[in-house]
Amino acid sequence: MNILEVSLTRRQAFKAMLGIGGTVASVVLPKSAAASTEEHPAHPIAPPDAVAMLYDSTICTGCKACMPACNEANGLPADTLLSGGIWDMPTGLNAQTKNIIELYQDPKSDEFAFVKKQCMHCLDPACVTGCPFGSLKKVDFGAVTWNSSLCIGCRYCEVACPFEVPQFEWKALNPKIVKCEFCYDQRLKENLEPACTAACPTGAVIFGKRDALLDQAKGRIAAAPDKYYENRVYGEHEAGGTQVLYLSSVSFQKIGLPKLGPTSLGHYATKVTSVIYKWLGGPVLMAGVLGLFIRRNWNRHEAERLLHEKETGFPDQL
Amino acid sequence: MLGTLKPSSTKLETIDERLRQCGISRRSFLVFCTSLMVAAPYGLALTDKASPEAVAAVLGKVVRPPVIWLHFQDCTGCTESLLQTSHPGFADLILNVISLEYHETLMAGSGLQARQALDEAVQKYAGKYILVVEGSIPTGAHGSYMKLAGRPAIDVLADIGGKAAAIIAIGSCASWGGIPSADPDPTGAVGVADLLPDHSIINIPGCPPNPYTMLGVVLQYATDGTFPETDEQRRPKFAFDRDIHEHCPRRAHFDAGNFVKVYGDEGHREGWCLYEMGCKGPDTHAGCSTRHFNEIPDVWPIGIGAPCIGCTEKAVAFKVPMFQVVQLHTIAAPPTSYAPITTTRGTISPLATGLVGLGVGVLATGGYVASRQFSKKQDDESAPGSKPDKGTGA
Amino acid sequence: MTPTPASPDKRGTTLINHWQAGVPVTTGPVLTPLLACLMALAAIGFVMAGIRVVSPLGPFSAMNSVYAWGIWKTFNVMTLTALGSGPLALGMAAWVFNRQKLHVVMRTALVSGFLFYATGLIALGFDVGRPWNFYSAFMPWRWNTGSAMLEISICMPLYCAVFLSFEILPLFLERLYYTGNEKARAFLRHVSPRIRKIYPVVIIGAYVIPLMHQSSLGGLLLLAGDKINPLWQSPALPWLYLVTAALCGFAFTIFLLLIVCLRYGRKLDGGVLSELANLLSGMCLLFLTIRAVDLIWRGQIHAAFAFNKMSLLFLLETSLILIPAVALRFRRVRETPRALLNMSALACVGGMLYRFIPTSIAYSPMRSTSYFPSVPELVMAVGYISLGIVAFVFAINYFAVLPGEASTWDHAFRPFGWKRRIAAPTGIPLTPATALERGV
Repeated sequence: MNILEVSLTRRQAFKAMLGIGGTVASVVLPKSAAASTEEHPAHPIAPPDAVAMLYDSTICTGCKACMPACNEANGLPADTLLSGGIWDMPTGLNAQTKNIIELYQDPKSDEFAFVKKQCMHCLDPACVTGCPFGSLKKVDFGAVTWNSSLCIGCRYCEVACPFEVPQFEWKALNPKIVKCEFCYDQRLKENLEPACTAACPTGAVIFGKRDALLDQAKGRIAAAPDKYYENRVYGEHEAGGTQVLYLSSVSFQKIGLPKLGPTSLGHYATKVTSVIYKWLGGPVLMAGVLGLFIRRNWNRHEAERLLHEKETGFPDQL
Repeated sequence: MLGTLKPSSTKLETIDERLRQCGISRRSFLVFCTSLMVAAPYGLALTDKASPEAVAAVLGKVVRPPVIWLHFQDCTGCTESLLQTSHPGFADLILNVISLEYHETLMAGSGLQARQALDEAVQKYAGKYILVVEGSIPTGAHGSYMKLAGRPAIDVLADIGGKAAAIIAIGSCASWGGIPSADPDPTGAVGVADLLPDHSIINIPGCPPNPYTMLGVVLQYATDGTFPETDEQRRPKFAFDRDIHEHCPRRAHFDAGNFVKVYGDEGHREGWCLYEMGCKGPDTHAGCSTRHFNEIPDVWPIGIGAPCIGCTEKAVAFKVPMFQVVQLHTIAAPPTSYAPITTTRGTISPLATGLVGLGVGVLATGGYVASRQFSKKQDDESAPGSKPDKGTGA
Repeated sequence: MTPTPASPDKRGTTLINHWQAGVPVTTGPVLTPLLACLMALAAIGFVMAGIRVVSPLGPFSAMNSVYAWGIWKTFNVMTLTALGSGPLALGMAAWVFNRQKLHVVMRTALVSGFLFYATGLIALGFDVGRPWNFYSAFMPWRWNTGSAMLEISICMPLYCAVFLSFEILPLFLERLYYTGNEKARAFLRHVSPRIRKIYPVVIIGAYVIPLMHQSSLGGLLLLAGDKINPLWQSPALPWLYLVTAALCGFAFTIFLLLIVCLRYGRKLDGGVLSELANLLSGMCLLFLTIRAVDLIWRGQIHAAFAFNKMSLLFLLETSLILIPAVALRFRRVRETPRALLNMSALACVGGMLYRFIPTSIAYSPMRSTSYFPSVPELVMAVGYISLGIVAFVFAINYFAVLPGEASTWDHAFRPFGWKRRIAAPTGIPLTPATALERGV
């Protein structure tokens, strides 16, 4: 009749802890092993079939042929909001624009430069690291693609991307994440180059294997010393390295490419957690430690309980 | 150099022979071939050659095709357009490249003689001649709105068209009805393809169309009996696969936003884009932007400052008001302005700011009042135990 | 520990009695004008939520692709669940570090914690853009285990739905026991021992899981990299978020107890509040230590005292936590209700500020963009909070939540439309234990 209790024996506590930890671990284990530091090395290595785009701002004439070509290849409508229905006139990457030409102009001097903005297809993308259910993935050729059946619309990719590339369709009832995918479904899979590089009339943006393009870029730098900013290629090491490389005569920050260190964001973010959560070790350990203390205190509590109930005339409330 | 007009011979000779007979220089012929190549730079097998000499070599061997030209409800503008070519002159060359067996405007005979000429030509070249139709065919009132030598136009077309190797409907009227078919359309004007849908018909709409389109099609047929590729409206793709807007010489002004607002204003004088004046260029398929008329550059509507009225399109010409601005439906290429490197987006609603301020204020005040209550109780000496008293708690 | 004789209620905030048990509030009407206002706010929020279901996120809220997270995520979830970490903080203190005194206030912390989490998760549910794909949460092979967002989206609902609910279960069962019929009581007598048996095991999870997700809330911001001002962006973010969760948990519990006791005219227990204040002060000091070490290690001290906008914000947030840390070291302060209220409020605000700033004010991406929540967003956020408050008020009136003396326990729960009331035989003070013995 009375609500009597059996104090938890050591064996029972142990079994319980193993039970909890084991169940969770066994379910998560296969993926857990992969979430080790090796998945986000400090200096990512490009996959062997990695393709890239090399954009040379000094060759670009700002003709914007790449913009309608991209829209057409990806079935995107023109962003005619600001032009009253006449021109495709986006002010930046948005839900209808995967690729844009922006102009940097210094109001005081004559300095100007064009820059082509789209997804950088990083070697260790922050968006892929952050996506909870793997909707954004780095697939073959190193292209970063989005899968609509896995995305929950949490927009963590927008927060994570240092280049502010993924665009959420804010105005749609079935919102997608819109970003350049190297024309993966439409062209890359058929061994065609992306629409923008195919459309470029001056060869300002070209497509090829990352190693080859990197060499080509360095060759251009060597052939014209002091023409290119800091005599280096942007994207070689930024955020661990990207598959879109930039050459520019003006500072990269002026054309809107952020200053980034050589380690990927994924590495920085998972440095500690990948160790703690490896094989769920940290939580299981913590559970064990807490379990010991809790068991001891629970037993003390139980020992005093009956006494306490008698004194106060009130049953113990949990 | 004007040669003499030789009567049509009893048999058809090759073009080379004919030109030699008429004393037309090879130079003129080469200029003609060049014009053809310019008119049809792609999509026409005849002109898909490396040089005018190559075209001339092929064309020279071609037997002159017999052409019968019928007028129905027309204004003769299409003929006029053909007549206005000057390089080469119409009489000089064109009449010697094709064998025009019957043409009411140009032929010398009339009356009974003309009827006989028609019957003879139809009989002699049955199954071999090309019928060129100019003008729409009235179907209203059992076809009694127009009769040719006493016969209703519909019957004439059925008869002569039936015996033709191919029919070329020149002009918008013959292609889909043209001006006569505009509201209220009392005559029930229709194009050739509406009456003889199963025949081999090439439509060359336009009001008038560029004559070289017709010449290219006819000569191609004469060369190897094939027609150039056509679209679903039976128009040859080499001339009609692009719209005016795509190749318009004033496109740069469109992209830069230089629009004519009023006829005769500064922009009009500067040659700016006529989009806002109702130019139907974006909705109209034709080659006028690149091949102007009368072989003189800029002799075409937009070139002289008149907005395109879409004369080739059934859905546009004589239907959509000339001043009405069209919707752009192809992917609009961006204008000459550029997106800046940084954009400021997002707006702050003053109402929202006010609400937040209000909320924070309410909470802060509430907290202060509550805290005052505590000290009020404590200062109240009379309440028992108002001073803090430590119990024997563990 | 003998119970002091119950003194007539003098609307005093005296510190003489000892809280002994959770006791329902039985005085005064439940539906007051203030509560009615809050219910109206919650109803308006509910209507807005209905609109949100059928409207795209863009026009409804003021979020854009540069500031992709609005106040639902950054405030209702990341900030308010810190206030809702009472169960974690108090639970660990009571069950792991053996501060037995805190058991009496556990229920208050649990109910408020549960409500903060529940409303926060509802806010999260309305915030995601493609919620129909959330079933992937039940398919572990799809989990991207390196992602902090995954950790949160699995652990927080799990915690709230399983562990917190389990911890709250005794409230309902207790009420059922005292207001139900004989069959219910028999059932409970059968089921209670089993619940007691697994309780210590379940609460292990109830502490491990919030340790994981509260630190992951901080871990979320690690991926934002340089978009967050270096004064806040640091590898110590997860640790600091965890400490602020504990800090806010204690602070809010103190604050809540003081406010509620003031409102309902109940007596305070100096011992318990002092204990809580002690722990709060300890957490504040821990926070400040980790923060200071982190800033020195990363060489950001000069930025902290640069006296520009960010620096001033940092100094504000730090002083809001420093003041309680120092002040609560003094016993006199710990035992003055007014001072306790102020200090705990400061600590709450300071902790909330610390968690909120790097997600919004110190979040400066490349594209200069402004974000301020739109009116519908605010209405919904306020609606969630009001819902939580309303639910809390109902809870403390209808269940034994608030701490009080055992002698004021008359187990006369307010009826939910049931008219049954356990009448006390005249002359004998009816305590629950005697009631049980009598088989009532």
